[in-house]
Amino acid sequence: MFAYTVRRVLATIPVMAIVALFVFSLLYLAPGDPAAVIAGDQATPQDVERIRASLGLDRPYLVRFGEWAFRIIQGDLGVSIFTNLPVTTMIAQRIEPTLSLMVITLCLAVCIAIPMGVIAAWKQGTIIDRAVMGFAVLGFSVPVFVVGYVLAYVFALELDWLPVQGYTPFARGFWPWLENLILPAIALGGVYIALIARITRATMLEVLQQDYIRTARAKGVGQKGVLFLHALKNAAVPIVTVIGIGIALLIGGAVVTESVFAIPGLGRLTVDAILRRDYPVIQGVVLLFSFVYVLVNLVIDLAYTLFDPRIRY
Amino acid sequence: MASSTILPTEANVAVAVPMPDILPPVKQRRGFFGFLRRNPTITIGASLVLLMVAIALFAPFLFTRDPTALAPALRTREPSAQFWFGSDMLGRDVYSRVLYGTRVSLTVGFSVAICASLIGLTIGLISGFIRAADAVIMRIMDGMMSIPSILLAIALMALTRGSVGNVILAITIADFPRVARLVRGVVLSLREQPYVDAAVAAGTRTPVIILRHILPNTLAPLTVQATYICASAMIAEAILSFIGAGTPPIIPSWGNIMAEGRALWQVKPYIVFFPAIFLSITVLAVNLLGDGLRDALDPRMAKRV
Repeated sequence: MFAYTVRRVLATIPVMAIVALFVFSLLYLAPGDPAAVIAGDQATPQDVERIRASLGLDRPYLVRFGEWAFRIIQGDLGVSIFTNLPVTTMIAQRIEPTLSLMVITLCLAVCIAIPMGVIAAWKQGTIIDRAVMGFAVLGFSVPVFVVGYVLAYVFALELDWLPVQGYTPFARGFWPWLENLILPAIALGGVYIALIARITRATMLEVLQQDYIRTARAKGVGQKGVLFLHALKNAAVPIVTVIGIGIALLIGGAVVTESVFAIPGLGRLTVDAILRRDYPVIQGVVLLFSFVYVLVNLVIDLAYTLFDPRIRY
Repeated sequence: MASSTILPTEANVAVAVPMPDILPPVKQRRGFFGFLRRNPTITIGASLVLLMVAIALFAPFLFTRDPTALAPALRTREPSAQFWFGSDMLGRDVYSRVLYGTRVSLTVGFSVAICASLIGLTIGLISGFIRAADAVIMRIMDGMMSIPSILLAIALMALTRGSVGNVILAITIADFPRVARLVRGVVLSLREQPYVDAAVAAGTRTPVIILRHILPNTLAPLTVQATYICASAMIAEAILSFIGAGTPPIIPSWGNIMAEGRALWQVKPYIVFFPAIFLSITVLAVNLLGDGLRDALDPRMAKRV
C-alpha cells in the first residue's frame, strides 16, 4: 500500500508538469502585448520596451518557464498586471464563495443523485426508472445558465422565496449565507446529479445481479438493507470515481453560475481576467483549479481500499 | 499490481447482459423505417436535429427580418404579432436573431464533433499501435484532461480575438483528448482479438490491419462519442459567448443574445428565455440521438450509463 501510494503520488508529477507547461505556453503565445496595454496609448516604443524588460517579458521561452515554475513551486503565482496585487491575494479574496458553492453543490448532488440512482436500479424498467433516466438526459442537456435563470425567475422574482443574486459571507451567519447559495447550487448541480445518478443506476444494476445479493435476501435482509448496505457498498468504487471526475463539471459550471448569480468568486475573477487579458491571474486560476482537480482524484484513488477492502495494492 | 491501478471508467468496464433462457421469436421489421420504429430515441432525436438544421438553412424564409437591423424606437417590446419573441434593447427582432443563432450553434457543434473525432481518432490509433509513443502521448492527454474543459476553452479564447473559427478551434482542443483516450482503449482491446492475431500471422502489414480490422470497429463508439461532443460543444459555445469570450457580439448566437439580455432579464426575461429554450431543445435532441445510437450500435452498452 505504501509503495503504491508513493508511486501514485509520483505519477501525478508529470501530469502536473504538463498542465503547468501547457498553461504557461498558452499565455506565452498570447498575441496581446501586456506591456503595450500597461503603457497606454500615449507611450513611445521606448517606453513599451522598458516596461517589457521590467516585466521580464523579453527573455527566452525556457528561461521564463523555468523561473515561472520555480516561483509557482514556492507558492508565488506572480502579480496581476491589472491591479498590481499578488495573484495569491486575489485568489484568497475570492475563494470563499466558490468553495462554498462547490461544497454545497457537492453535498446536494450526492444526497439527491445516489438515492435516485439506487431507486431507479431497484425499480428497473418501471415509470420511476424512466423518470429518473429522463431527468438525467434533461440534466445533461439544459445548460447551467438556463437552469439558473429559470430558477431565479420562478423562486426569486415570482415567488420571492429566495434572493435573486449576490453572496453573503459565512461570517455573517449561516442562513443568509445558505439562502444565497441554494439556487446557484441547484443550477450548478443539474449536470452533476444526472452524471452521478446514471452511474449509480448502472453500477447498482450490475451489483444486484450478484450471488451475494441473493444470499443476503435469502437470509432475510430487508429491501432497504439489501439496497443500501449490501449493494451500494459494493457499487461505491465506480460511483466515487465519477464523483471525482465530475468535479471538472463543477469547476467549469461555477464560472457560469457565478456570472448568472453575481457571486464574487473565482469564476468571476477568471471572466474578468480574460476580458482584461490579465495573464498572471488567468494562469493562477487555471493552475489552481487543475491542481485541485488532480489532487481530489488522487485522494479518491488512494481511498479505494476504504470503500472496497478487496482492492489490495 | 499494474492491473489494480486501472480505474473503472466508461472505456474499460464491460457489462455482460444476462440473456433470457429462451429468445422469443421476434418479427423484426427491416429497412429504414423498421430501424426507426425499433429505435424511437433515434427517431425523436434525429427529427429534432433535422428540424433545427432546416431552421438554420431556411432562416431567411421563415418570416424573419435582418437580425442586426436596429430600431431604437421599438426597443424592448414584449412578444407580439410584430415581434414574435419581442425585441431587444436595441430594437432588434429576437425571433430573427434566435433563428439565425441556430446557424452558429449547429456550425460549432458539428465542426467540433468532426474535428475532435478526426484528431482524436488519429492520435488514439497512433497511441494504441506504437508502444513507444503511447506513454508520452497519454501523459500529455492526461495533462490536458486535468484542465477542466470549459476553463481550457476560455483560456484559449483569451489568446485570440473572438470569431466562430477560433471558438471551434478552442473547443476542439479542449475536447479531443477524451476521444483519443476512448479510441486508444478500443484499439488496445481490439489488438488482443484472435482475428487481429490471425491477420498478423498471415503477414498483413500494420497499416492494412489498422485500416481493415481496427478502424471499422472503432467507428461505432466514435460516432456515439461524436454526438456527445457535438452536444457539449454547443453548450460550450453558448457559455463562451455568454461570458463575452466567444462569438463576436455582431453575430447573433444564442449565447450572445442571452448575454445581451442579461442586464434586463429581471424585467424582460423573454430575451434570455427564447434562445435558452432553443439551445436546450437542440442539445437535448443531439443527446437523444447519441443515446439512441449507443443503444443501437452497441447492444452491450444498452444497459450502461
